[in-house]
Amino acid sequence: MKQATNNEILKIEKLKKYFHIGKDKKGPIYVRAVDGVDLNIKYGETLGLVGESGSGKSTIAYTVVGMYRPTSGQILFKGKNIGMEASRRSLSSKKEIQIVFQDPGSSLNPRQTIEQILALPFRIHTHMPKRQFREKMVELLEKVELSPDYLYKSPPSIGGGEKQMVAVARAMASNPSLIVLDEPTSALDVSVQAKIINKLMDLQKEMHLTYLFITHDLSLMRNVANRIAIMYLGKICEVAEAVTFFEKPLHPYTQMLISSVPVITEEEKKLKPKKVISIGEIPSPVNIPPGCSFHLRCPYKMSICSKVDPEMIEVSSGHIVRCHLFAKLENKKQERSDWCEEESAIY
Amino acid sequence: MKNKENILLDIKDLHVWYRVYGGYLKVLNGVHLMVREGERVGLVGEAGCGKTTTMKSILQILPPGDFHIPQGQIFYKGQDVLKMSFKELQRLRSREVAMIFQDPTTALNPVFIIGTQIGDVIKYSSAFEENEHKETIKEQSIKALKEVYLPDPERMRINYPFQLSGGMRQRVCIAMAISSPRNLLIADEPGTSLDVTIQDQIMRLLNEIVEKRKTSIILITHSLGVAKEMTDRIYVMYAGTIVETATPEVLFKNPVHPYTKGLLASVPKISGGGIAKGIPGKLPSYLNPPSGCRFQPRCEQESPICSEKPPQLFEIEKDHLVACNLTQR
Amino acid sequence: MINSNLPNNSIAISLVKPKSIFWLNLGKNWYRFSRNTLSIVGLVIVAGLIISAIFAPWITPYPEHAGPFVDFDNTGQSPSLQHLCGTDNMGRDIFSRIIFAFRGALIMAVVVLAIAVPPGVLLGLTAGYFQNTWIDAVIMRITDIFLSVPPLILALAIAAMLKPTLMNAMIAVTVMWWPWYTRLVYGMASSVSNEYFVIAADLTGASKFHILFREILPNCLSPVFTKMALDVGWVILIGASLSFVGLGEQPPIPALGQMVSDGSRYMPTFWWMTIFPALAIVLAILGFNLLGDGLRDMFEKGVE
Repeated sequence: MKQATNNEILKIEKLKKYFHIGKDKKGPIYVRAVDGVDLNIKYGETLGLVGESGSGKSTIAYTVVGMYRPTSGQILFKGKNIGMEASRRSLSSKKEIQIVFQDPGSSLNPRQTIEQILALPFRIHTHMPKRQFREKMVELLEKVELSPDYLYKSPPSIGGGEKQMVAVARAMASNPSLIVLDEPTSALDVSVQAKIINKLMDLQKEMHLTYLFITHDLSLMRNVANRIAIMYLGKICEVAEAVTFFEKPLHPYTQMLISSVPVITEEEKKLKPKKVISIGEIPSPVNIPPGCSFHLRCPYKMSICSKVDPEMIEVSSGHIVRCHLFAKLENKKQERSDWCEEESAIY
Repeated sequence: MKNKENILLDIKDLHVWYRVYGGYLKVLNGVHLMVREGERVGLVGEAGCGKTTTMKSILQILPPGDFHIPQGQIFYKGQDVLKMSFKELQRLRSREVAMIFQDPTTALNPVFIIGTQIGDVIKYSSAFEENEHKETIKEQSIKALKEVYLPDPERMRINYPFQLSGGMRQRVCIAMAISSPRNLLIADEPGTSLDVTIQDQIMRLLNEIVEKRKTSIILITHSLGVAKEMTDRIYVMYAGTIVETATPEVLFKNPVHPYTKGLLASVPKISGGGIAKGIPGKLPSYLNPPSGCRFQPRCEQESPICSEKPPQLFEIEKDHLVACNLTQR
Repeated sequence: MINSNLPNNSIAISLVKPKSIFWLNLGKNWYRFSRNTLSIVGLVIVAGLIISAIFAPWITPYPEHAGPFVDFDNTGQSPSLQHLCGTDNMGRDIFSRIIFAFRGALIMAVVVLAIAVPPGVLLGLTAGYFQNTWIDAVIMRITDIFLSVPPLILALAIAAMLKPTLMNAMIAVTVMWWPWYTRLVYGMASSVSNEYFVIAADLTGASKFHILFREILPNCLSPVFTKMALDVGWVILIGASLSFVGLGEQPPIPALGQMVSDGSRYMPTFWWMTIFPALAIVLAILGFNLLGDGLRDMFEKGVE
């Protein structure tokens, strides 16, 4: 069991989360939502987690926060193991880790006022007398640029962007260190998104927060995250610094995703890798193909890809890929000569 | 014979009001929109700006009783939709115009198989021709499913919607829309609830269909990138009015209206550069909308004329219209 | 960091704002309720019934006829200006007796609902939150057992076992009324429990009590109130069915079903003795149904 290094606020090791959904002749059937993930987040950084639906990114977020119990593996937060459901965690863990959900409509109780919604974390995590709540709440609302009269409003009467700001305020109320943001702006428009993202960035600096930012929007990720991890069918394919991720994407899936982002400006167009046509549907996490889980859609498939699951390979400092194409750093493999031809084909 | 010069749909000065407690929500405040034959038109705007209301007005599928249209005309092939009889509207909805809804999951009836649903569309759209034989309906539905590249259409026909993925459901919705020849397709954010690679596939499919059949299409989206790649002309909508319209090249190179400029600046780019501050303020209340220009409370440029006169669309260069009081050239 | 003026302003705001928001909400709710004119008709009928039941001794023309009173000179009078619904076989004014009978009926409805609804809702709430655990199984199977017995027969059996009084009729009806609420709330509670705001409260450390009563319950109450309004009518009907066969309120205290039963013997000549009490039952159920529909419209979540 490794220990977390000093500058890592969160360390995820070999995390697996399987959901049991039934049985067939061969035995129990599982949805392998998260299938062996290693990830760490440094203090003060924004780690971006990118993937399509079924990739497991939301499952990781929910397991970190305590909605699910890991099937195996461990999660270390500030050195302490938190790999259990929220109800069994210590109060301080619950205070320190907060989450902002994707859908602002269902993450706030429509039958409460904003005052009541914000009062809950204050009541649980601080020892302030009730009289002081209001002052603090107004302060909090100010931080997210909402006027004090929002305290008496109810979620159904305010817009989506404002609701999400309330959700952010609620997350900040307990003074956390790590905030998980699960697609916080996916349901919102571009201009509202810009406002919220800017606010989040400001608040991160002001309150020394660490973010685990999940989204499927690559262009947003580029401007928000310090490091980006991309997931496919429960496993991480590539992790890199944001700039490297877009300038030198290595994994074929990464290239496929980046090439399908619709862009506006000429400079962006030049940056995109050549068009990788995505073939077929996304397979379900119940029937994960053997070998590399991506091989059925991969344009650079080799014979080894359908048999052996690749290992994570560190290509350069901080840039790791899970793909047989880069197995040159591994011990002797028969397909090494193939790889040389493949690599030149990508660029 | 489709002629790119012929105007298919012409919405003129459409006002739509919605009755609520306290008065009327004056949702649409003079919408002008024009689609030519074979043209791909994009309608861009934030949630709540009135895009869906406009589209629903074309097909007259707004909930009756609550909606009130005080002025405006919607000309389809020269005839005013707002004055059409019920039978003429039926014909419009079943033969001329088809709508592809945003969420494929709720657009399909969960208790009927796909084959029945496509079959229904074919049956009603051919109600104005002589009755088709039942076998032909089945064949037609399989043909429609083939056109949208659904694998194994014969087996797909007998599936229920819940057995299909989101991308497949959206393809079924498109198949329903193109199952009989139409002149105008209205696609309401067709890829929004889907993954980005699947959205890409759906968009390319729509493009192919539109090119092959020379159908006109109105594409509603809030993604400017999608609008750029998929349209010939873009309309930018804000708070129930069209604020700017131009071809994508012109619009993105030379946006004139402050809202368009703010919107373009807010789009994150994969080349980096951070995100602009967005546009301060929020959508105005439709119950008491600002007099004059509806964007004025959020606009950086201020001028007394902006709160007096609602701006009209006028041409500042060829095919580039703007509705702003301060850009009179 | 904060403007030093702000705390004072916010306290001032707190004293003013909630009141205006209260009136705003009231106005919005009234607008939604009154969209359908029939709902207002229902409201008027119900208000009329309640007021006349409360003020019965003062507004009925012959209040003493609702007690031990006989006037054999005046029996079998057909409806006239003096006796709006005629007189019965003992010479008592039927109209006054109907109004007094409503007293018993409404009291019964109020008591039955007050006793049956809270446990029913609580059980449904608990079962819904702990869905798919043994708590859910136990509660819902007991509920199923009660629901599987035909309601009127259960009420009759219980009422027949005990002495025939109003109180015992109420007990009988209460026993078979609560399961409907459990089932209603169970469905709502189980779906609300999966909403993100409930999860968020749980993740931040809220107690189970808070989650059940402050997060989930307020979101389940709208259909409960609607059902309660509708149920008043149905309790009145069940009560009338019981008194029709002689269980429940005993003579000379008037009860609607009993009046219908007594009068049926004199059909068709003295038709008013049965028809008017029967119409009164119909009117009551109609009024509460329309009111319930209006409440349902009011609670419906519009898009705004």
